[in-house]
Amino acid sequence: MKSLKFSLSLLLITTISNAQNYPSGKSILDKVDNNMSSKSRVVTAKMEIAGSRATRTMVEKTYSEGDHKAYTEYLAPAREKGTKMLKLENQLWIYSPSTDRTIQISGHMLRQSVMGSDMSYEDLMNDTPLLHRYKADVTGEESIDSRTCWIVTLTAIIADITYYRQKMWVDKEHYVPLKIEMFAKSGKLLKRTTLSNIQKVQGRWFPMSFTYKDMLKDGVGTKISILDIQLDSAIPANYFNLGNLN
Amino acid sequence: MIKFLFDGLMRDKSRSLLPIIVVALGVMMTVFLQSYMNGVMGDSIEASANFTTGHVKVMTRAYNQNISQMPNDMALLGVDTLLQKLNKQYPDVTWAERIQFAGLLDAPDSKGHTRSQGNVTGMGISLLKSNEEIDRMNLRNNLVSGRFPNKPDEILLSDQLFHKMNLKLGDEVTLISSSMYGDMAMYNFHVSGTLHFGINVLDRGTMIADISDVRSALNMENAAGEILGFFRGKRYDDKMAITYADNFNKQYATSKDKYAPEMLPLSDMNNMGFFVAYDNEVQKIIIMVFIIAMAVVLWNAGLIGGLRRYGEFGLRLAIGESKHEIYRSLVAESLLVGIIGSLIGVLLGLFISYFMEKYGIDTSEMMKDSTFMLPTVLRAHITATTYFIGFIPGIISTVIGAMLAGIGIYKRQTANLFKELES
Amino acid sequence: MLLIKTALRSLIGNGLKTWLNVFVLSFSFVLIIFMQGLLEGWNRQAVKDAVKWEIAGGQYWNQKYDPYDPFSIDSSASALPVTFKSEYAAHQLEPILISQGTIYPGGHMFSTLLKGIRADQHLLALPTNLLKSKNSSDIPVIIGMNMAKQTNLKVNDIVTLRWRDVNGTFEAVDIRIAGIFKTPVPTVDVGQIWLSLKQLQKMTLQPNAATILIKSDQVATQTLTAWPFKDQIEMTKQTVALVKAKSTGFSIFYFIFLMLALIAIFDTQTLSIFRRQREIGTFVALGMTQSQVVGLFTLEGTLNALLAIVAGTLYGLPLFIYYALKGLSFGMDTSSFGIPMDDRMYPVFTPNLIFGTIIFIIVITAAVSYLPARKIARMKPTDAIRGKAL
Repeated sequence: MKSLKFSLSLLLITTISNAQNYPSGKSILDKVDNNMSSKSRVVTAKMEIAGSRATRTMVEKTYSEGDHKAYTEYLAPAREKGTKMLKLENQLWIYSPSTDRTIQISGHMLRQSVMGSDMSYEDLMNDTPLLHRYKADVTGEESIDSRTCWIVTLTAIIADITYYRQKMWVDKEHYVPLKIEMFAKSGKLLKRTTLSNIQKVQGRWFPMSFTYKDMLKDGVGTKISILDIQLDSAIPANYFNLGNLN
Repeated sequence: MIKFLFDGLMRDKSRSLLPIIVVALGVMMTVFLQSYMNGVMGDSIEASANFTTGHVKVMTRAYNQNISQMPNDMALLGVDTLLQKLNKQYPDVTWAERIQFAGLLDAPDSKGHTRSQGNVTGMGISLLKSNEEIDRMNLRNNLVSGRFPNKPDEILLSDQLFHKMNLKLGDEVTLISSSMYGDMAMYNFHVSGTLHFGINVLDRGTMIADISDVRSALNMENAAGEILGFFRGKRYDDKMAITYADNFNKQYATSKDKYAPEMLPLSDMNNMGFFVAYDNEVQKIIIMVFIIAMAVVLWNAGLIGGLRRYGEFGLRLAIGESKHEIYRSLVAESLLVGIIGSLIGVLLGLFISYFMEKYGIDTSEMMKDSTFMLPTVLRAHITATTYFIGFIPGIISTVIGAMLAGIGIYKRQTANLFKELES
Repeated sequence: MLLIKTALRSLIGNGLKTWLNVFVLSFSFVLIIFMQGLLEGWNRQAVKDAVKWEIAGGQYWNQKYDPYDPFSIDSSASALPVTFKSEYAAHQLEPILISQGTIYPGGHMFSTLLKGIRADQHLLALPTNLLKSKNSSDIPVIIGMNMAKQTNLKVNDIVTLRWRDVNGTFEAVDIRIAGIFKTPVPTVDVGQIWLSLKQLQKMTLQPNAATILIKSDQVATQTLTAWPFKDQIEMTKQTVALVKAKSTGFSIFYFIFLMLALIAIFDTQTLSIFRRQREIGTFVALGMTQSQVVGLFTLEGTLNALLAIVAGTLYGLPLFIYYALKGLSFGMDTSSFGIPMDDRMYPVFTPNLIFGTIIFIIVITAAVSYLPARKIARMKPTDAIRGKAL
């Protein structure tokens, strides 16, 4: 019993002393922000959604400004072509060309998956900066594909949040997250995003592939590959105009 | 001989009329009871078959396991080739593809913004190509306003939801649902007519659309959630359904694919097994009991018919006929009565049954608030059995009655019988 | 009295014919009572089961609660009204919290309703005592047999449950199937998981909240606008309607059976009047009025019904008693039918049913006996006595 107590306290001391050596969570996230955030972004991406029977591929082009404005247009396949999605602040609209209707996605509809992927509309809506929603602590180091990473643990500081805890593996050199895991309060792993194919884009390091997976469900998840990315280019204001969707 | 007996029967009304009436009435009731039992019991089964289960149903294994969730992502693919195969293998079965889905119906205002919304459970059936499914699901009776879709993208909506959403016939509504691949699907429809089912769950929010439109809406080209099979011109036959299902499933026995098609007989779905067993067994028992009771009554009638003619027999014995001959003629006469009575009874019974099949007794008032899928109109149903079942008690018991009554001839003294002539 | 004796004697004197008629009539009599008793038994049992498993003394529903709208369920709970505090403490009121969740049996998503109920409740028959957790990480739940079949879960299986708390935050834990119960009431079984109220309140961050309140019938009903009360009658309306529809279907069947018996009596009456013209003539000659003779024959026919009731009682009563005590089993698992039905049905024979049927049968037998007997009134007594009236 005594020895157990001793080793426990020893463990506690090591953790504390280690924590003292770690940079603050905030500083890591700031650096990630510095690296990745830009005034605007125009991203063309390919999304591969693996169902249990077939994999579907779609191409989308997203224009975004800051965190609050985003406009997405689907380019392929033919069926989805012309479908547009507009996000302004915390509101989301979808325009479907076949119906010529613009529908606001709200309430329980936000919980639906985006184009059948493992991502929900709600996941897209989380645009408030992480540090406003979470307390960030660096809780360890680990290598992913021979890149050493800080493990940043994010714990919710507000009640109104989808995932209580997230863990982020941030490349120590490039300040790009390589893996993000979302947890329930109980500690159960709910979703996992892996980011790979890190490339330098206009002087910033960017993951050019993501996989997004619901960990409770069977399957391999959704893979997103960036085909083209432009940072800080001017986007005409009418892209973010609701009246312009149709 | 027959002509002689027949003339006798025709001329002596009390000898013929009453027994024939009794036999006819009894047979009529037997016939009617059989068709009624058949109708009422069978109708619950047929209603379920027509609406949800089919006599047999083909789904993927995975779809079947998750059927309560309407898992269109697990729907059958390559339906055209599958249908060809089914048609070839089971020429005596009619196949109907269906898609069940759930979604949100959204009605726009003049600017295209949401004016009202409602949750719907939908069904895609073949509406435009033929009226087969409309008749099968008996939708004509449920149509409250408007008409059936006659061009693409028209739908029927339950009347209650139609009014709740404040719609007018011809209005455009947008269905928001999940496609087969799980993404959001939006599709415009026009409401062409409204339906009232009298069943709470259906009246709350049902939409029925042509399956090809549902396929476009849900990105289900050449796919279907389920393919229902109906025995051509026949009611449900459990043995046949089980045989077909076993035979079909054998072809995929070695496949590990959870999306392999699987055929289920009605008795294996929606807990219909009980009703099928009930239908087969209880109906048999009730009809058996009735036929026995019927036989008792007709036997009694035959007995009475025989007894009241002892006087006549006395006379016939006196003029030299043998007891055997009299007995034989009595039995032959009763056979004739039985046949004539049964014929009239069967005709009358069929006549009533036909009306009960066509019009039925409407109990929907009573069932207004029910959420159960039960037919609200009690109907008879005429089968091959209906035509001959009446003859069993009609002829057999009349003859047995006469035979038993006739035994009296042997027991009594000729003189006694003759004495009865005086009465 | 003499009249009855005479009538009875001539009826019994008819021997086999009479007994055949009596047998068929008694059979309809027994059948009507048995079938109606069975339906009444089913009706009562279904109501009793619903009371036992679901309703107790009635339910207060949160006014926001709409069981048919899955999207509003998560926002339809609110705090237990203070006025119920003492009833709650005395276990005469059991709050139930309803929420939505998803379980993942075998990697598949399965949406369910989560229902929280106090483990030490005794208003409902649910085996809630199994909901007491062994330790802090143990979350025992109970499900019905139907749900177990749908999800392929067995006792002591562990399955992941995911839900959202009141703020919309995802939460997931492993739950343990502590028990699988068998219930004749599908509405407490299909698509739902029962767990401890405290647990669910904690899980959804809604302390003290409830969606419906189940009341003991020992306490008075209160009227609260925020918690409209649903009484037993309202809650069982649908079941009662189902049984009523069934009984309409059956009544045609009795009607036919009864018709059969009545035809037999009619037939017998007609013939006996024909054969007994001389007797009729003699009665009139001895000073009876014709209507008295009509009465005698009608009485004789009606006695068929009395004999049938006696006979029916002789063989029917043991049958009724046996089934009323032992119940009638269809030899199958009724829990999967999706209709409120027990494995064993106990018919209920009410005095109303029995005496109603007796009176009904006597009256219509009398009517059927009277119809042919009317002829007697038109007979010329002189013809009758010679047997030539008809």
